[in-house]
Amino acid sequence: MVERHIQVVEPEDNVATALREIEAGETLEVAVGDSTVTVEALADVEFGHKIALEEIPAGETIVKYGKSIGNATEDIDAGAWVHVHNVESNYGRGDLAADEAEAEA
Amino acid sequence: MSEFLGYERDDGSVGIRNHVAIISTAPYANDTVKRAAEITENTVPITHPLGRCQTKPDVFQTYRTLLGYGTHPNVYGTVVVAHAGEIVDGDELASDVAETGRPSASINIHEEKGVMNALQATVNAAQEMVLDASDQRRVPADYSNLTFGINCATSDTTSGLCQHKATAKAVWRLIDDHGGRGVFAETAEFFGGEHELAERAVNDDVKQEVLDRVEHWDQRLKDTGYDVRGAQPTPDNMDGGLTTIEEKSLGALVKSGNGPIQDIVDYGAKIPGDSGMYIMDTPGHGAESVTGIGAGGAHFMVISTGQGHTLSNAIMPTIKITGNPNSRERVPEETDVDVSEALVGDEDYDWAADQLWDNLTRIVDGKLTMSEALGESQFAIHRIGPST
Repeated sequence: MVERHIQVVEPEDNVATALREIEAGETLEVAVGDSTVTVEALADVEFGHKIALEEIPAGETIVKYGKSIGNATEDIDAGAWVHVHNVESNYGRGDLAADEAEAEA
Repeated sequence: MSEFLGYERDDGSVGIRNHVAIISTAPYANDTVKRAAEITENTVPITHPLGRCQTKPDVFQTYRTLLGYGTHPNVYGTVVVAHAGEIVDGDELASDVAETGRPSASINIHEEKGVMNALQATVNAAQEMVLDASDQRRVPADYSNLTFGINCATSDTTSGLCQHKATAKAVWRLIDDHGGRGVFAETAEFFGGEHELAERAVNDDVKQEVLDRVEHWDQRLKDTGYDVRGAQPTPDNMDGGLTTIEEKSLGALVKSGNGPIQDIVDYGAKIPGDSGMYIMDTPGHGAESVTGIGAGGAHFMVISTGQGHTLSNAIMPTIKITGNPNSRERVPEETDVDVSEALVGDEDYDWAADQLWDNLTRIVDGKLTMSEALGESQFAIHRIGPST
């Protein structure tokens, strides 16, 4: 049965938000638009945190609200916990600007 | 048309509170302001670390913000306390307050020949205003007079999924059904959603201005040489599941709804009088954005929080709404409206908006917010450049 406590905002999203605690090993049926995606949770996921609905290779876009919320910094498996340990932002990256300035110098 | 009970001002505005403000123009007048406010009942002290040795862009911003408080619709009268001759001039501030028809007084510690004399003069002026303010009665006024401020606070992943939807429905109810105004802010929290937001602008100039101001913030952050993560999202945002500033921003923008954007105004500037939704260009730092929106003249503010927050303002009542079922436990005495049943229970977002609307209409008529009843508030003016 599709779970209302695992929410996907837009059909093109590749992550879902947990509105309950998820335990590793649980099989989750998640509504994505009009279809249902089934994933096995690979890790415990806390309330409010995200889980990957499909495999997301390193460098690919994490999509929520139908838009980019950053890029994968490593290969992310379907069912993995998605958070700061495997996603980076594309805004406010003074660290990258500093690296580029150093490379040009 | 719907009416609320408010305090009429000579400048045509209508307040929902009748405060007497005691405003410091520089750090060296702060203690006199605080002591005077402790002595005199029903006064609000406004203190800050600015107003001296600032460069012009900051001088204008500090002055604009303090004047916004001195002339706020919720303010009956204002006592300005200065230390000496300052670049943020106390006499000028008191004079600009008086132009709106409000009682105003200017006290200068050097001219009074000392802090004790200045304290006496401040208390005398404030006491007279408080007595007169207490004699003013609320009268019926149209809801079109009201400006509804919106801000996030300790956002988490529930913010964009739940409480922001209720907040958006409530602010657009004021705009569409009653002809009022709305204002949201936090430009650094538009990252990733700026193009869709800009498309909502009423004309090409406003559209370009939104994009330019977002780009300006990204550049300011890049110029620091560091990754902004930690400052945005904050550690408590990340605890709540928000991973990047883009994710936080896309959720944050939900609270502004989908309707047209009339204009984007400078930090602390007065919100224009025409009905509709406005943006104020502020950082995402809540104390600074809320202080700016207060200076803009918002009558009240809905703080749409994920993890719970103490964020509040002394002049402008702040109504805290959350959709995270765990937040009421974290900050129980600061949570005005809990709509988590719409997220994890059987209620919907129309119900959630009704809960908020019912609460805010009573607060407009004089019921205290949780933070007002606790006497809690913060005041922080956003600064642009260096002290000199």
